[in-house]
Amino acid sequence: MPNKLSEPISVVSSDLPIYNSAFECASREDIRSTQFKLIKEQIDLAYNNVAWYRERFAEKGLEPGDIKGHEDIKHLPITDKSVLRDTYPYGLFAAPLDKIVRLHSSSGTTGKPIVVGYTKEDIEEWRYCIMCILQMAGVVPGDRAQMAFGYGMFTGGFGLHYGLEGLGCMMIPAGSGNTERHIMMMEDYGTTVLIATPSYAMHICEVGEKLGYDWEKSQLRVGLFGGEPCHPKLKSEIESRMHIFCTDNYGLTEVMGPGVSGECLASRNQQHIMEDHFYWEVIDPKTGEVLPEGSVGELVLTPLNKKGVPILRYRTHDLTKVTTETCECGRTTARMDKVRSRTDDMLIIRGTNVYPSQVEDVLSSISGASPHYRLVLDNETGMDRLTLMLELEPQAFTDSVPQMEDFRNHISDKLRGVLQVSANVKLLEPGSIERFMGKAKHVEDNRIK
Amino acid sequence: MGIKQISAFVENHPGRFKRLTDILEKADVSIRGFALADSADFGIVRLIVDKPDAALEALTSEGVLVKAADLLCIELPDKPGALDQVFDAVAQAELNVEYAYSLVSTYIALKVDDIEKAKQLLVGKPVRLITQADLQKPLN
Repeated sequence: MPNKLSEPISVVSSDLPIYNSAFECASREDIRSTQFKLIKEQIDLAYNNVAWYRERFAEKGLEPGDIKGHEDIKHLPITDKSVLRDTYPYGLFAAPLDKIVRLHSSSGTTGKPIVVGYTKEDIEEWRYCIMCILQMAGVVPGDRAQMAFGYGMFTGGFGLHYGLEGLGCMMIPAGSGNTERHIMMMEDYGTTVLIATPSYAMHICEVGEKLGYDWEKSQLRVGLFGGEPCHPKLKSEIESRMHIFCTDNYGLTEVMGPGVSGECLASRNQQHIMEDHFYWEVIDPKTGEVLPEGSVGELVLTPLNKKGVPILRYRTHDLTKVTTETCECGRTTARMDKVRSRTDDMLIIRGTNVYPSQVEDVLSSISGASPHYRLVLDNETGMDRLTLMLELEPQAFTDSVPQMEDFRNHISDKLRGVLQVSANVKLLEPGSIERFMGKAKHVEDNRIK
Repeated sequence: MGIKQISAFVENHPGRFKRLTDILEKADVSIRGFALADSADFGIVRLIVDKPDAALEALTSEGVLVKAADLLCIELPDKPGALDQVFDAVAQAELNVEYAYSLVSTYIALKVDDIEKAKQLLVGKPVRLITQADLQKPLN
């Protein structure tokens, strides 16, 4: 097993194993032709077995045979989350129910959840995707992996669990909650890999420090984060305080779960897409038009090996850009920028579009500003008012009210410059912002509509 | 060398100051003087205590943001004009006093740029320089 590194570094030598180098390092032409062959099969599967897709093809006057090359893929119908809700529970299933061996669902913020089913083959393919992204993150057989995601209907727990076992890691299925127990298990079992949301990992780190636990001496080496976007500053803070590598992986229940893309240790702000399992496009979220490589837009994914629930062109609502340049790690698979914002977490404040990720970028650039924040919106006075609640870092505290006020005004000025909206800044004591086990809540919108 | 002051960052809402005094009580620390400087939504509590190291350790371990600073501390005679004499000397030397506050008895603590210089200015004046050891003694 690789040694724990005393200092986190940004690039690791290329001698880390690549799970399936035959595909992950294949030529772009080979990758594209594999993808086209697979997407044709998915089109047939969806068309022949799912009434909803057949109807959409008919509306467009399209038949599966009309898709003759990559350039025709943009004519396929788009699938949005609402379709999964409207056809709840089994409307998009292509396989008969007696071939489905597992269900997972994603909580809907409103109304019914969405549900997806997996055949035996789907579970195998999922396991393969996870094993690939594990090796990207530097996880190796023999690692001891502690799960801090909840199991249950959520895809994160079981999805990663199966992949980690498949790779030959010792799984410690601790589940979510009970932070002190997590720390005790890490120490007693010699945990080397932690699977958590970044905000929960931060919480574990802080509780450990409070209990006097020495993270540098712990055997923990890799953090596998998912479930929410990870602010770069939060990531580097966890890396330096816990003395581990933190990697983000990406996925969504609608197309499978975690394992769609993963971070390798050579390009830390991007994730390799599992292109033998997902066809990606980036579209203009307003017009739906497919954008050229390198443009920022909404990621659209088509799973390529599904048997249970084929999904064509799923709109993720995640904003990113993709490059197909070869990575320093040796992989030739496309890399997407880590998703920092979604088309639907855009806030409209006094008519201006604001993304929480913009606030994070401002905070990253200011020393003394912690990554722990919340945006609070209200309109008590009739006008939208934005307040940034921000925890102070210890070194930013200066014992002088004028200096503290200057610091606050500096943040406020920078925010106005970037957001084009003025914001009050309220400085908080460390630990004031609640650390969540699930997705961190960065926005509290108290506006009366 | 002067005496040690501990400053703590507090949010402006009910109970935040009490949290500090609770921690100090548990650490068996006695407060000899304090001042609260505040803005609209946060405050800085400045404390002078008998055992500054114990206070710093207790506050830090509870996650309170703290900073230590050296202050000049003097005891004045209890008569009109005593404080005036001190500020007169300080003003003539153009020494900047960032802030000052009174402690138990007729003690005052001053935050100045140059403690040694301020001490020399007060030589021959009817005031007594207070050391950390003085603060450690019980009051009665």
